[in-house]
Formats: sequence, C-alpha cells, structure tokens
Amino acid sequence: MTLGRVVATERKPNTPHEFHFWTALDAPVGIGTIVRVEGPATNDGRLVTVYGVVVEGFSYTDLQTPLHDVLGADGDPAAAVRAPTDRTEIRLYTAHSLRHVPDEPLQPVPMGCVHLATDDDIAIALRMDAYLREDQRTGIPIGVYRSGATQSPIYLDADFLLGPEAAHLNISGVSGLATKTSAVEWLLGSIFAHFPTQKGSVAAVCFNVKGPDLCFLDQPNDRLDDADRALYEAMGVPAEPFKDVQYFAPWTARGHALATLRSNAALADNVHPLTWGLREVLQYAEVLLNKDDVDAKADALIDFIRERVVNQEFSDALLPRAHTVRSFADLEQWFRDVLRGMEGHNAETWRTHHVATIRKVRNRLTNISTRCRGLVTDDGTANDLPWGAFRDRAVYVIDVAASEEDAQDLIFARIVSQLREQLERRTLGVDHVIVFVDELNKYAPSDGPDTYVRQMLLDIAERGRYLGLVLFAAQQFRSQVHRRVIGNCGTALFGRMDMDELATPGYATLAPATRIKLSTLDKGQLMVRHPHFAQPVFVRFPRPAVLGGRDGVERFPAEPEPSLDIAVTRTLRTLDPSVTLEWVKQAIVAAPEDDVLRARNRTLQARPDDVKAYFRAQFRTRAASEPVSVRPPSLPLAGAGDEDPYGF
Amino acid sequence: MRDALRALRRAGAALAASGPTLETQAPAPDPPRLQRAEPFEGDAVRVVPVDGDPLVGIAAFLDGIQQSRVLAHGPGGVPLVHGTVAASVRRRRDRTLVSWRDDATRIARALFVPRAAIGETAWDALGAVCAVRDTLEPRERGPWHPQDLTARALSAVQRRREAFETACAELWCAAGDGPLFVDGGIAGAGAAAHSPLAIGVVKSHRTLYVDGETVSLVLNLREGERTTAFTVTSPRRAPVASWYLRLRDPTSHDALWGLVRVEVALDGANAERANLVSRWLLAERSPVALPDPRWGAMAYGIRLTEEYLRAVTQ
Repeated sequence: MTLGRVVATERKPNTPHEFHFWTALDAPVGIGTIVRVEGPATNDGRLVTVYGVVVEGFSYTDLQTPLHDVLGADGDPAAAVRAPTDRTEIRLYTAHSLRHVPDEPLQPVPMGCVHLATDDDIAIALRMDAYLREDQRTGIPIGVYRSGATQSPIYLDADFLLGPEAAHLNISGVSGLATKTSAVEWLLGSIFAHFPTQKGSVAAVCFNVKGPDLCFLDQPNDRLDDADRALYEAMGVPAEPFKDVQYFAPWTARGHALATLRSNAALADNVHPLTWGLREVLQYAEVLLNKDDVDAKADALIDFIRERVVNQEFSDALLPRAHTVRSFADLEQWFRDVLRGMEGHNAETWRTHHVATIRKVRNRLTNISTRCRGLVTDDGTANDLPWGAFRDRAVYVIDVAASEEDAQDLIFARIVSQLREQLERRTLGVDHVIVFVDELNKYAPSDGPDTYVRQMLLDIAERGRYLGLVLFAAQQFRSQVHRRVIGNCGTALFGRMDMDELATPGYATLAPATRIKLSTLDKGQLMVRHPHFAQPVFVRFPRPAVLGGRDGVERFPAEPEPSLDIAVTRTLRTLDPSVTLEWVKQAIVAAPEDDVLRARNRTLQARPDDVKAYFRAQFRTRAASEPVSVRPPSLPLAGAGDEDPYGF
Repeated sequence: MRDALRALRRAGAALAASGPTLETQAPAPDPPRLQRAEPFEGDAVRVVPVDGDPLVGIAAFLDGIQQSRVLAHGPGGVPLVHGTVAASVRRRRDRTLVSWRDDATRIARALFVPRAAIGETAWDALGAVCAVRDTLEPRERGPWHPQDLTARALSAVQRRREAFETACAELWCAAGDGPLFVDGGIAGAGAAAHSPLAIGVVKSHRTLYVDGETVSLVLNLREGERTTAFTVTSPRRAPVASWYLRLRDPTSHDALWGLVRVEVALDGANAERANLVSRWLLAERSPVALPDPRWGAMAYGIRLTEEYLRAVTQ
C-alpha cells in the first residue's frame, strides 16, 4: 500500500541521507516508522529503493497566521469546529536513510512512492539480512518493531554484541520506568536462547548494586500478560526465568547472615557467601588504597609482602620466629614482630623500608578487614565464585547493594580481573562472559579521580571483546560516563530519558522529534543503536520473565538478621538438612562468637560429607593449634640472680 | 511547451522574455454600470433578512483557472500565446474536498495563435508538436494591431476556460447529488443554467443589477441580509433568478465588500429557495479564504478548488 510520496523543494531538498514525504492525515506513520521508497526506473533500467526511518514530522494548514482562523470563527472556537470544510492540512515527514539498494552510486533520494516497510524490508533496511541467514544466523532478538499492522522482530548481531567484531552494551534511562534492569533481564534471556552454539558458551555476571533489583532472577514473573507472551513467542524466547542462577553476597558486619535482600529461607539454596582472605585481597590492595596512601615506598613494601611474605614461610634475623602469613591476623602478627624487632634493634629501616612506611602500610592493610568487614575475613577463609567451573547459560549475581563503597570497589575489581585472566587463559569454563554493571556513572565517571575501577572498566571496554569479556552497563545519565567507555559500546539502548540529559551535546545528532519521543517513551520501549543500523530504531520488549525486585521482596520477604545459633543452623542446613537448632546450640556452647563464625565459614568452604563432624572439629582444631600466647620475658635487672624469684 | 518552443525557434519566431501573465496585465474591463433588473420576488427589490441559521447544504464546488503568457513573437510582431486552462468540480466528503470523478477535472494547454497572421506553414509546424488554437474568426483578414491579437488570444483562453467550467457544471448537474457552488454566474453555463443543482456566486460587481433608490438598498445590506430576487437576462445567456447577499459586515471596508450576487435557475426559484440557498452560502463563510485578497466574498471551498487547479497545472 502506498503510504506517501517523496517531495523536495529548493528550501527543503533531499539528500542521500535525508528525505521528505507527505502522507494522508490518517496514515499510520510516526517518529521511528521505517519506510521504503521506490524510485522510478533510471535510464539504465535500475530500480532504486531507499529505506528510511522517520525522524521528524510536520503538520500545517494553508493559514498564514492563526489570526485568520480566529477571524473565520468570529473568535468562537466552537464555530471553527462547525465549519463545513476543514482547512487543508499536510502531514510532512522527514526521514533519515537507513539503506540504499543498490548502494552505489549514492544519490539523493528520488521522488518516489513511500510504503510502510514489511518484515523483509526491515531486515534489508537494518542490514539484518546479513546475519539472519539460515546457515550463519547470529541474530539476537532485542524487541519488536511496531508500525500499523507490522510487528517485526529486530535482531542484534551477536558478533557485534558479544564480540569479536564489536561488543558491549550501554543502557540509558531514567530510573523506575522498566528500562535498565528490565531490558538487561530480557536481553540476557534472549541471548541465552539465541546465542549460536557454534560461537561457544556464555554466562553472565551481574552486580546487583541497589535494592533487590536482580535478587529473583530464578523466580517466574506472574505479571506477564498475553501481550508479553506474544512478544516472547514472536521472538522465540522462552517466557521463563533463568534456570541456572547463583547468588553471592558478603556477610553482614555481624556475620550472622549474608548482606542481601535475598535472605528468605525459601531461596537460600543458591545463595553463597562471598568472602576473601588476605591472599585474595592483597592482590587488589590498590583498589582500597588511594594514591595519597600509597607512594612509591609503600608500594614497594606491599610488593615485598605480596612476593616474599604471603603464603610462604618467612624468616628473618629480626623476627623471633618464622612466619607463614595466610590471613590478616597472621599479617598483623608479622607486622607486630617486625616493628618490635626494629625497636629492639633500635633500627629505623629494615630491608630498606623505613619504619614510618612500615607503620603506614600496616595501618592501611590491616584496616582493610575492618573497612570491608563481612567480605574480608581475618582468618583467610575464602568463599569465592566457581572459578574454572563457570557454566554455560548460567547467571552469577554478586549482590553488593548492602556493601560499603570500598567493598564494592574491591569486589568489582577482583571479580572482573579474575574473569579477564581466566578468559585469557581459557580456564573459566565458558567462552564469553557478560558483566552487567548498573550505575556506571558512579564507577566510570567522566570526571573525578582516576580510580582503579574506572581503569578496569576502560580496559574491558577497549580490549574485552577480544577475550569474550563483554560489558553491559547501565546508567541514568550517559553524559556523565567516561566517553571512552561509552564510545566503545557497540550497542546502545535508550529508554525514557530526562529532558535535561537530552539537552547535552551527546544527543545533538538526534532529530528534535526523536529526542522528544525519547523523553516520553512508554515502559517497555527502547531506542536501539547498533553498528548494523544506520539510524536508531524504536522497539518494544516484553516484561522480563523473572520476578521483579519489588515483587520479589513482597513474596519472599527479607528475614531479619538472626541470632548466632539460628544463623549457623540455617547455613549448615544448606549442607546437611539434618542439622537442628538444638544440635547447633550444643555444638557452639561456650565457644566465642568469632570462633563459631570461623567454624561455620570453614565448613561452608570445605563442604564436607560429614558436616556435623567437620563443624565440631573446627573448635577442637583451633583449640589445639592455637599457639599459647606467651608473655615476652621480662628483661632481668642487672645483679639479680636467675634463681632468686624475689630478686629485684 | 518545450516542443512548442523548439517549433517556434525553427519557425523563426523570437522568443519573448518571460514576464507576468496576460491576466495580470489585461486592459481595464468595461466601466462599472448600473442595470435595472426585473423584480422576481415581489414587485420591487427589497431587503430581507435571511431567515434561519446558516446551514451546510453545498455538496461540491466548481471553479476554473487560466494562465496565459506570450511565448514568442512571430514575424510582424504576431503574439504567440501559451495558455493553460483548467476547471474542476471538487466534491465535499467528510468536510474535505476530494476529486469527484476523472472527467470532472479538465486541463488543457495550447498555443493560441492567429492562424491567418502566422501563415499555414508555421501553423502546421506548430500543430505538429503541440495543441494550437486559432484566435481569429474564420476568413478574417489583417492587418491587425499586435495588442489586438494579444487581447484576442486572451479572450480565446477565457472562452476555453468558460467552456471547461460549463462542461464540468453540466456534468455535475447531470450526475451530481447535491447543490454545486459555482464560482461566477451560471447564466452562460449551458444546461446548468436550468438545473436546480447549480448555484452561481458572483463576487465582482462591475454591473450592479439595480438602479435608482435600490442601489443604496444593496450597498447598505447588513451581514446576513439579502435583497429579494430579480431576473437577470442577457442576449446570449439564459435568464436566471438572482439576488444580492451580504456575507460579512462591511464596516471599515468598501460598500461592495462581503457582497455576492447569487444566481439560480429560474425554474423553481422563489423566496423560500432564495432563503435556503442564502443560508447555505452563509454557512460557507467559515473557514475564511484568507490569505486570498478576495476572502470577503470568497468561499473557502472555491479557494481550495483554485489551489487544487494551480497544483495540478504546474
């Protein structure tokens, strides 16, 4: 059906990239509509077809001034409505070219008939035909393009979404309008359903940075309606939650429960503690130490500790005994002995390190376990992600919403570094990992200090695609994110945007009507930029098939932090359902709280066959192995005999 | 047009510099005059208010346009005029004017030339490449004043336009299904002059069909008032019933502003019909035909029809 006709005037000429057309008043055209222009046959018999997307619309009548209408209606608006003839009105649209067929020579858009694009047209217009071929299909559905009766799935190219050609995704949109989190949840489901098997395996690591957003990815969403299900069906994505989700969260400061809103006992099966000891943390100490703290001298000492002290026996003439530092507690003991030895020898330096530097580094390092309490353990017990055993189509959620900022940075830095290293060595267990980070403007701001985390994000954005490490990042204000991170994201999604944000220079390339449409998008609507698409395209995506954060906390309320015995019981029950509260009470009676928590953590880490025996053994082991604290011998006074106990 | 220009060059004509159309530089028409008309509604022309609110009754609009330019000058300064004429009936459907049927829009372009003045060879050469119409009477012989030839060409174009308008009016009156608003009189519109469907609305008043004291009655008509009907007769035209109607308040305008003279077929004309037709015309005051300078007396439907014709002839 012919929808409109291309027009051009001297004032508004057509170019190869922009053209104008008019339509009937009731034509199903709007901002974002994709159209096909069929030009007349050229002298050599070629038929030129141009595909475009509407970016601006105009409407006007033959009135020269509004006063004429007032005059005609005698100042009565109702009279204007009663006029027997409507004023002639035009609907004039401006479209930006998506594709010319043939591509060469690239000429101004011809005066031709304009048609609504069909499914096939859309595939050609967006160059999706190249990656939707049966034999080399790499399309990942991102949403459905709707115009009139047309409902056409829009696909992203996996090679340009997850690498290696291009990669990374950035999502912008105001909070609370189902843009960022919902879009990522939907897209992950789509990727898991459509990522081609010949491209390898893929998993996702999601950082939950606020509230319960990502806490219920394995629970179904009962708010899906028929329209949502139709969208899922149209795009060939199962409308079901993720099948393999593992949650990780640090302990709370008290250590009785994990610091996550997914604390309901009914969901505890796949929630794991995330705790690191000295070995894990020291490698990323820079994350927690700012540049004022760590000068070249301190850096040298940290390197020395990392290389020569940690996880090996260390002896020195200065020290009263050999040290094997495996935990923050061990490290503190080591520092204490070093400093005491220096005092004893009245030395200002030890192994070229000045006493002031040693004191500063001691202060900063041992302080980490306090600043990141719940994440960092004094005793070196570590519960970590399943490095080397990542599973295909699994989601690993790291809940850092309740963690302090330092701990968040440390978690992010270490996990992403580990992912990068293991992907580089091909030992992670999967070929591609999607890392989802919300609030990107906080972690990679366009201004402010150059932090370790920002450097890491830049590194992923610039080099991650070669490794299979893909960044899916979201933020409310794209303009506040480092432009190298944004610039390296091959694909961008935009939900409803704030008008102030749209007024920033980054959006200047969008037509005014497109910007206004962006500021009024409904829930579930996105504007998509993708390397294959010459212009942004508007799509609609279904509600995520997973339970939303707010619904989740209503259905599975977070439980208050329990008493120690209950906390231990709950944790041990995940390993051995026969563990009872009474048994735990008896097992931990008279044991200090720190010891009980340490025993619990070690049991969790070891996951022994006989949970009860292992747990009990932790108390005995500690009692047996703990060195008896020996008071340092008093220095004898001159002249006093050794055998005279009363001698002074 | 291009073919005609080539033919003219070959015929040795000097191409004229492009300038304004002949319509804009036409000599002054006949001087304004008063002409008594026979009262048809009562014994004398009176003023009556239109009874009832404006009522939408017009189903279609008919208008024609013409455009003439001297394209070239032949030997002896003979003007060779290119004329475009068009007429159309635009039907109103859902408050929008649309084409009624294909043959209700007529467009023609031709060279209007004095055959005897340019000679048979040039006539044949032009006729081979474009439509050519003779502006002289058969067997008429010169010499002619060049401006007289131009005026004859303009007159021929005008006759052609009127013929198109008449054909369109007759078509509607034969097959249309409601009142037709005709821009101008209907007395010369052939069968349409006798049709109850045709309503002629004359905006120009070079001739006022009143005399004596009735002149002031017409000039002092107030908005929504009309005169009683009278009969307009002319030697080569059909007699029609006619009356003056004030569409808009002329305050701060001249006395003829907002004044139209309505023509309807004599058959069936009476006071009741004059009132009804006047209500229909009053309804057409909105929307106003601005920015057309004749908007005081022009219906928007006629303006749209003119715009349509300009669009399709350009």
